[in-house]
Amino acid sequence: MPSIRVPTALRSLTGGASDIEVTAATVRDAIAELDRRHPGFAAKLLDKGAVKPFIRIFVGPDDIGGLSGLETKLSERDEVAIVPAIAGGRDA
Amino acid sequence: MTLRATVVGAGGLGGPIALSLGAAGIELTIVDHDVVELSNLHRQIQFTAADLGQSKAARLAALVEARGGAARGVGARWTEDTADELAGDADLVVDASDDPDTKFSVADWAIAQGRCYVIAAALRYGGNVMIGAPGVACYRCLFEEPVAAPSCADAGVFGPVVGVIGGAAAAFALAIAHGDRAFAGAIAVFDDLRRPGDPRIVRFAPRAGCPACARAPIAPSLSSPVTPPQLERAAPVRVAESS
Repeated sequence: MPSIRVPTALRSLTGGASDIEVTAATVRDAIAELDRRHPGFAAKLLDKGAVKPFIRIFVGPDDIGGLSGLETKLSERDEVAIVPAIAGGRDA
Repeated sequence: MTLRATVVGAGGLGGPIALSLGAAGIELTIVDHDVVELSNLHRQIQFTAADLGQSKAARLAALVEARGGAARGVGARWTEDTADELAGDADLVVDASDDPDTKFSVADWAIAQGRCYVIAAALRYGGNVMIGAPGVACYRCLFEEPVAAPSCADAGVFGPVVGVIGGAAAAFALAIAHGDRAFAGAIAVFDDLRRPGDPRIVRFAPRAGCPACARAPIAPSLSSPVTPPQLERAAPVRVAESS
């Protein structure tokens, strides 16, 4: 099954899980599936159905923006990475 | 030919970046408006208690020079207005700041000037390093605008993480400064340094209508597919032999 790599910033929503397998056929369906299992997940990634501007989603090494966006199809071995923009260096 | 780089930020990321680039013979301008505070020392390990209250930029530049490098420290903020003065002679700009606006400003300036650049960031147990160069998708293609990005003020950063991310940023910076474009237009994602497998190196496509690319002397081709990354290949960085 395709797997979703959850960034550390969103693992509070997934109970700490970092890799989650999904049965979805597309990236959009995968996000919806994760949202059903971990409510609030989709709202962190999407705004009005589109990926928020400071988040990018990759299937394997490829940005979905260069594929079919959220409709990018997923195959059995695909790994989906969610990459948020971050700014760091300062402590909490 | 001596290469020159401007490092923006002299903290946890800027420390290993500047020390590495300086030791590799790159002349540096180090920019940071801040002073060393006690709360910095757990992750900005280039500093000691003796540095408290002193300019980070000046202290880091002194440390680079103590190792035989060449550096000047500038106690200022990177802004659109100061960029030309701070990086006008630089072949490369490396962002090691903790501020989203500064990251976009550094990238936008470098793109407009046709310079290579590296943007480094760390958060909690991970971080990322974006490698930019003329003619490829840019930082603004990637993240579009500096809004609501998670910051360390929200989530904190594990001290040793900045050393790893900073070291990786320095390696990518050395590679691109020496003309190796294998990772230009890619972002190295260190999701969680406590897990094996990092970094994941991913490429992203140029974004149609990107305002930064519109100002670039060499715009990325939207019609050309992005060259697949050479994931197995380490950046062939040439640095001084060391024991």
